[in-house]
Amino acid sequence: MEKDTEKKDGQEQEQGEEQQSPSSIVQKIQALGQTNIPQAPDSNIHVLSIIGQIEGHIQLPPQNKTTKYEHILPQLIAIEQNPKIEGVILLLNTVGGDVEAGLALSEMIASLSKPTVSIVLGGGHSIGVPIAVSTNYSFIVPTATMTIHPVRLTGLVISVPQTFEYLDKMQERVINFVVNHSHIKEEKFKDLMFAKGNLTRDIGTNVVGEDAVEYGLIDEVGGVKEAMTKLNELINEGKGNEQQEVIQ
Amino acid sequence: MIHYTPLSESDIYPIDEAAYTNRKCVNYEGKTVFVEKNTNGEYQLVQLLSTDPQDYLNEKFTPGTIIP
Repeated sequence: MEKDTEKKDGQEQEQGEEQQSPSSIVQKIQALGQTNIPQAPDSNIHVLSIIGQIEGHIQLPPQNKTTKYEHILPQLIAIEQNPKIEGVILLLNTVGGDVEAGLALSEMIASLSKPTVSIVLGGGHSIGVPIAVSTNYSFIVPTATMTIHPVRLTGLVISVPQTFEYLDKMQERVINFVVNHSHIKEEKFKDLMFAKGNLTRDIGTNVVGEDAVEYGLIDEVGGVKEAMTKLNELINEGKGNEQQEVIQ
Repeated sequence: MIHYTPLSESDIYPIDEAAYTNRKCVNYEGKTVFVEKNTNGEYQLVQLLSTDPQDYLNEKFTPGTIIP
Protein backbone atom coordinates (compact mmCIF):
# COMPACT_ATOMS: atom_id res chain seq x y z
CA MET A 1 0.00 0.00 0.00
CA GLU A 2 2.69 2.41 1.05
CA LYS A 3 4.61 1.79 -2.10
CA ASP A 4 1.50 2.49 -4.13
CA THR A 5 0.94 5.84 -2.51
CA GLU A 6 4.58 6.71 -2.97
CA LYS A 7 4.29 5.89 -6.63
CA LYS A 8 1.22 8.03 -6.93
CA ASP A 9 2.93 10.92 -5.20
CA GLY A 10 5.85 10.58 -7.56
CA GLN A 11 3.58 10.66 -10.56
CA GLU A 12 1.76 13.66 -9.24
CA GLN A 13 5.03 15.46 -8.67
CA GLU A 14 6.10 14.72 -12.19
CA GLN A 15 2.84 16.08 -13.48
CA GLY A 16 3.32 19.13 -11.30
CA GLU A 17 6.73 19.75 -12.82
CA GLU A 18 5.34 19.43 -16.31
CA GLN A 19 2.67 21.97 -15.51
CA GLN A 20 5.29 24.46 -14.40
CA SER A 21 6.46 25.39 -17.89
CA PRO A 22 4.14 26.87 -20.53
CA SER A 23 0.78 26.07 -18.95
CA SER A 24 1.69 27.80 -15.69
CA ILE A 25 2.12 31.05 -17.59
CA VAL A 26 -1.27 30.55 -19.22
CA GLN A 27 -2.79 29.93 -15.80
CA LYS A 28 -1.19 33.04 -14.42
CA ILE A 29 -2.62 35.13 -17.23
CA GLN A 30 -6.03 33.58 -16.66
CA ALA A 31 -5.92 34.25 -12.94
CA LEU A 32 -4.29 37.66 -12.71
CA GLY A 33 -4.17 39.02 -16.25
CA GLN A 34 -0.38 39.33 -16.07
CA THR A 35 2.63 37.07 -16.17
CA ASN A 36 5.03 38.27 -13.51
CA ILE A 37 4.57 39.91 -10.19
CA PRO A 38 7.07 42.15 -8.41
CA GLN A 39 9.45 40.59 -5.88
CA ALA A 40 10.55 42.38 -2.75
CA PRO A 41 12.85 41.68 0.22
CA ASP A 42 11.49 40.18 3.48
CA SER A 43 9.20 42.44 5.41
CA ASN A 44 9.13 43.09 9.15
CA ILE A 45 5.52 44.23 8.86
CA HIS A 46 2.68 41.78 8.49
CA VAL A 47 -0.67 42.47 6.92
CA LEU A 48 -4.00 41.28 8.20
CA SER A 49 -6.82 41.81 5.76
CA ILE A 50 -10.33 41.93 7.16
CA ILE A 51 -12.20 41.78 3.88
CA GLY A 52 -15.78 40.65 3.33
CA GLN A 53 -18.15 39.48 6.01
CA ILE A 54 -16.96 38.60 9.50
CA GLU A 55 -17.91 34.95 9.74
CA GLY A 56 -18.99 33.57 13.11
CA HIS A 57 -20.03 30.11 14.19
CA ILE A 58 -22.28 29.56 11.21
CA GLN A 59 -20.43 29.03 7.97
CA LEU A 60 -21.62 31.40 5.29
CA PRO A 61 -22.25 30.16 1.76
CA PRO A 62 -19.06 29.81 -0.30
CA GLN A 63 -19.98 32.61 -2.71
CA ASN A 64 -19.64 35.12 0.16
CA LYS A 65 -16.25 36.69 0.77
CA THR A 66 -15.56 36.07 4.42
CA THR A 67 -13.00 36.81 7.08
CA LYS A 68 -12.40 33.47 8.74
CA TYR A 69 -11.73 34.38 12.34
CA GLU A 70 -10.77 30.85 13.37
CA HIS A 71 -7.77 31.27 11.03
CA ILE A 72 -7.00 34.85 11.95
CA LEU A 73 -6.85 34.33 15.72
CA PRO A 74 -3.98 31.79 15.56
CA GLN A 75 -2.22 34.06 13.04
CA LEU A 76 -2.30 36.84 15.61
CA ILE A 77 -0.68 34.54 18.16
CA ALA A 78 2.00 33.70 15.61
CA ILE A 79 2.58 37.40 14.99
CA GLU A 80 2.96 38.05 18.72
CA GLN A 81 5.40 35.18 19.06
CA ASN A 82 7.57 35.81 16.00
CA PRO A 83 10.45 38.15 16.88
CA LYS A 84 11.01 39.00 13.20
CA ILE A 85 7.62 40.68 12.96
CA GLU A 86 7.79 44.19 14.34
CA GLY A 87 4.43 45.60 13.36
CA VAL A 88 1.02 44.76 11.99
CA ILE A 89 -1.07 46.66 9.51
CA LEU A 90 -4.78 45.99 9.30
CA LEU A 91 -6.67 46.46 6.05
CA LEU A 92 -10.40 46.81 6.54
CA ASN A 93 -13.11 46.60 3.94
CA THR A 94 -15.97 44.86 5.62
CA VAL A 95 -19.74 45.03 5.74
CA GLY A 96 -19.79 43.70 9.29
CA GLY A 97 -21.02 40.36 10.47
CA ASP A 98 -20.97 38.24 13.60
CA VAL A 99 -20.70 40.44 16.71
CA GLU A 100 -18.88 37.95 18.91
CA ALA A 101 -16.38 37.01 16.20
CA GLY A 102 -15.77 40.71 15.54
CA LEU A 103 -15.28 41.48 19.20
CA ALA A 104 -12.94 38.49 19.56
CA LEU A 105 -10.80 39.85 16.71
CA SER A 106 -10.85 43.37 18.16
CA GLU A 107 -9.78 42.20 21.61
CA MET A 108 -6.98 40.10 20.15
CA ILE A 109 -5.66 43.02 18.11
CA ALA A 110 -6.00 45.45 21.02
CA SER A 111 -4.00 43.16 23.31
CA LEU A 112 -1.07 42.62 20.91
CA SER A 113 2.19 43.99 22.30
CA LYS A 114 3.45 44.94 18.83
CA PRO A 115 2.50 48.24 17.18
CA THR A 116 -0.65 48.03 15.09
CA VAL A 117 -2.13 50.43 12.55
CA SER A 118 -5.39 50.10 10.66
CA ILE A 119 -6.61 51.56 7.39
CA VAL A 120 -10.32 51.65 6.62
CA LEU A 121 -10.78 51.35 2.86
CA GLY A 122 -14.16 51.43 1.19
CA GLY A 123 -16.21 50.41 4.18
CA GLY A 124 -15.78 49.49 7.79
CA HIS A 125 -19.37 48.98 8.77
CA SER A 126 -21.08 47.69 11.90
CA ILE A 127 -18.67 45.35 13.68
CA GLY A 128 -15.88 46.73 11.46
CA VAL A 129 -15.93 49.83 13.70
CA PRO A 130 -14.54 48.13 16.85
CA ILE A 131 -11.97 46.31 14.72
CA ALA A 132 -10.84 49.61 13.16
CA VAL A 133 -10.40 51.31 16.53
CA SER A 134 -8.72 48.33 18.21
CA THR A 135 -5.30 49.24 16.77
CA ASN A 136 -2.80 51.68 18.29
CA TYR A 137 -3.49 54.17 15.55
CA SER A 138 -6.23 54.20 12.94
CA PHE A 139 -6.51 55.71 9.48
CA ILE A 140 -9.42 56.15 7.14
CA VAL A 141 -9.22 57.03 3.45
CA PRO A 142 -11.32 60.08 2.55
CA THR A 143 -13.82 58.05 0.52
CA ALA A 144 -14.36 55.28 3.07
CA THR A 145 -17.51 55.06 5.15
CA MET A 146 -18.43 53.47 8.45
CA THR A 147 -22.03 52.67 9.29
CA ILE A 148 -22.84 52.85 12.97
CA HIS A 149 -26.14 51.20 13.85
CA PRO A 150 -27.69 49.11 16.63
CA VAL A 151 -27.00 45.37 16.82
CA ARG A 152 -29.35 43.23 14.79
CA LEU A 153 -30.39 39.62 14.87
CA THR A 154 -31.64 37.33 12.15
CA GLY A 155 -32.90 33.79 12.38
CA LEU A 156 -34.85 32.15 15.16
CA VAL A 157 -35.59 34.52 18.04
CA ILE A 158 -37.45 33.69 21.23
CA SER A 159 -39.79 36.60 21.80
CA VAL A 160 -39.29 37.19 25.49
CA PRO A 161 -38.04 40.37 27.19
CA GLN A 162 -34.81 38.52 28.07
CA THR A 163 -33.90 38.37 24.38
CA PHE A 164 -34.02 42.13 24.25
CA GLU A 165 -31.87 42.39 27.36
CA TYR A 166 -29.36 40.00 25.84
CA LEU A 167 -29.21 42.12 22.68
CA ASP A 168 -28.92 45.27 24.74
CA LYS A 169 -25.98 43.85 26.69
CA MET A 170 -24.28 42.77 23.50
CA GLN A 171 -24.68 46.30 22.19
CA GLU A 172 -23.29 47.70 25.43
CA ARG A 173 -20.14 45.59 24.93
CA VAL A 174 -19.65 47.00 21.45
CA ILE A 175 -20.18 50.58 22.65
CA ASN A 176 -17.81 50.13 25.59
CA PHE A 177 -15.09 48.70 23.39
CA VAL A 178 -15.31 51.55 20.88
CA VAL A 179 -15.41 54.24 23.58
CA ASN A 180 -12.42 52.71 25.40
CA HIS A 181 -10.28 52.39 22.27
CA SER A 182 -11.03 55.65 20.48
CA HIS A 183 -11.48 59.32 21.35
CA ILE A 184 -15.21 59.37 20.77
CA LYS A 185 -17.48 60.18 23.72
CA GLU A 186 -20.07 57.60 24.70
CA GLU A 187 -22.96 60.02 24.23
CA LYS A 188 -21.76 61.01 20.78
CA PHE A 189 -21.40 57.39 19.71
CA LYS A 190 -24.87 56.55 20.99
CA ASP A 191 -26.28 59.64 19.26
CA LEU A 192 -24.81 58.42 15.97
CA MET A 193 -26.03 54.89 16.60
CA PHE A 194 -29.62 55.84 17.28
CA ALA A 195 -29.92 58.79 14.90
CA LYS A 196 -32.99 58.93 12.70
CA GLY A 197 -33.22 60.18 9.15
CA ASN A 198 -29.60 59.51 8.15
CA LEU A 199 -30.18 56.07 6.72
CA THR A 200 -33.55 56.82 5.10
CA ARG A 201 -35.94 54.95 7.37
CA ASP A 202 -33.35 53.02 9.29
CA ILE A 203 -31.69 53.90 12.59
CA GLY A 204 -28.01 54.81 12.58
CA THR A 205 -25.49 57.00 10.79
CA ASN A 206 -23.21 56.53 7.84
CA VAL A 207 -19.98 58.30 8.77
CA VAL A 208 -17.67 59.30 5.89
CA GLY A 209 -13.85 59.55 6.16
CA GLU A 210 -13.26 63.05 7.50
CA ASP A 211 -16.35 63.01 9.71
CA ALA A 212 -15.09 59.86 11.43
CA VAL A 213 -11.92 61.78 12.37
CA GLU A 214 -13.94 64.79 13.49
CA TYR A 215 -16.04 62.65 15.85
CA GLY A 216 -12.86 61.16 17.30
CA LEU A 217 -13.70 57.67 16.10
CA ILE A 218 -10.64 57.39 13.85
CA ASP A 219 -7.30 59.11 14.49
CA GLU A 220 -6.44 60.46 11.05
CA VAL A 221 -7.43 60.65 7.40
CA GLY A 222 -4.81 58.93 5.29
CA GLY A 223 -3.84 56.00 3.15
CA VAL A 224 -1.01 53.51 2.79
CA LYS A 225 1.82 56.06 2.91
CA GLU A 226 0.62 57.69 6.14
CA ALA A 227 -0.11 54.33 7.73
CA MET A 228 3.35 52.94 6.91
CA THR A 229 5.07 56.08 8.20
CA LYS A 230 3.09 55.92 11.44
CA LEU A 231 3.76 52.21 11.90
CA ASN A 232 7.51 52.68 11.40
CA GLU A 233 7.40 55.56 13.88
CA LEU A 234 5.65 53.34 16.46
CA ILE A 235 8.16 50.53 15.84
CA ASN A 236 11.09 52.90 16.39
CA GLU A 237 9.49 54.28 19.56
CA GLY A 238 9.12 50.74 20.88
CA LYS A 239 12.77 49.99 20.09
CA GLY A 240 13.90 53.15 21.88
CA ASN A 241 12.01 52.15 25.03
CA GLU A 242 13.49 48.66 24.97
CA GLN A 243 17.05 50.00 24.79
CA GLN A 244 16.44 52.32 27.73
CA GLU A 245 15.13 49.41 29.78
CA VAL A 246 18.28 47.42 29.02
CA ILE A 247 20.53 50.29 30.16
CA GLN A 248 18.68 50.64 33.43
CA MET B 1 -42.82 35.35 -5.78
CA ILE B 2 -41.60 38.46 -3.98
CA HIS B 3 -40.06 38.37 -0.54
CA TYR B 4 -39.87 41.42 1.69
CA THR B 5 -37.72 40.29 4.59
CA PRO B 6 -34.62 41.20 6.59
CA LEU B 7 -33.43 37.60 6.29
CA SER B 8 -30.57 36.86 3.95
CA GLU B 9 -31.17 34.84 0.83
CA SER B 10 -29.23 31.90 2.24
CA ASP B 11 -31.52 31.76 5.28
CA ILE B 12 -34.55 31.24 3.06
CA TYR B 13 -33.10 29.10 0.29
CA PRO B 14 -30.76 26.45 1.64
CA ILE B 15 -27.39 26.29 -0.12
CA ASP B 16 -26.57 23.14 -2.03
CA GLU B 17 -24.40 20.91 0.14
CA ALA B 18 -22.05 20.32 -2.79
CA ALA B 19 -21.04 23.98 -2.70
CA TYR B 20 -19.60 23.42 0.78
CA THR B 21 -18.01 20.05 0.11
CA ASN B 22 -16.23 21.34 -3.01
CA ARG B 23 -14.32 23.88 -0.97
CA LYS B 24 -11.66 22.78 1.45
CA CYS B 25 -9.12 24.39 3.73
CA VAL B 26 -5.74 22.70 3.29
CA ASN B 27 -2.14 23.21 4.22
CA TYR B 28 -0.09 23.71 1.06
CA GLU B 29 3.67 24.19 1.42
CA GLY B 30 3.25 25.38 4.99
CA LYS B 31 0.58 27.95 4.23
CA THR B 32 -3.14 27.66 4.86
CA VAL B 33 -5.09 27.94 1.63
CA PHE B 34 -8.65 27.45 0.49
CA VAL B 35 -9.02 25.18 -2.50
CA GLU B 36 -11.99 24.34 -4.67
CA LYS B 37 -12.44 21.17 -6.65
CA ASN B 38 -13.12 22.09 -10.25
CA THR B 39 -14.99 20.05 -12.84
CA ASN B 40 -11.84 18.17 -13.88
CA GLY B 41 -11.36 16.94 -10.31
CA GLU B 42 -8.31 19.16 -9.79
CA TYR B 43 -7.93 21.45 -6.81
CA GLN B 44 -7.76 25.10 -7.66
CA LEU B 45 -6.49 27.67 -5.17
CA VAL B 46 -9.20 30.15 -4.17
CA GLN B 47 -7.81 32.08 -1.23
CA LEU B 48 -4.55 32.32 0.66
CA LEU B 49 -4.72 32.88 4.40
CA SER B 50 -1.48 34.45 5.51
CA THR B 51 -0.31 37.60 7.20
CA ASP B 52 3.04 37.69 5.42
CA PRO B 53 2.75 40.19 2.57
CA GLN B 54 5.53 38.34 0.72
CA ASP B 55 3.34 35.24 0.41
CA TYR B 56 0.95 37.22 -1.73
CA LEU B 57 3.79 37.91 -4.16
CA ASN B 58 4.69 34.23 -4.34
CA GLU B 59 3.62 32.80 -7.68
CA LYS B 60 2.72 29.48 -6.08
CA PHE B 61 -0.10 31.06 -4.12
CA THR B 62 -1.79 33.17 -6.79
CA PRO B 63 -5.54 32.50 -6.92
CA GLY B 64 -6.51 30.20 -9.74
CA THR B 65 -3.37 28.06 -9.48
CA ILE B 66 -3.97 24.35 -9.88
CA ILE B 67 -2.47 22.54 -6.92
CA PRO B 68 -0.63 19.39 -8.00
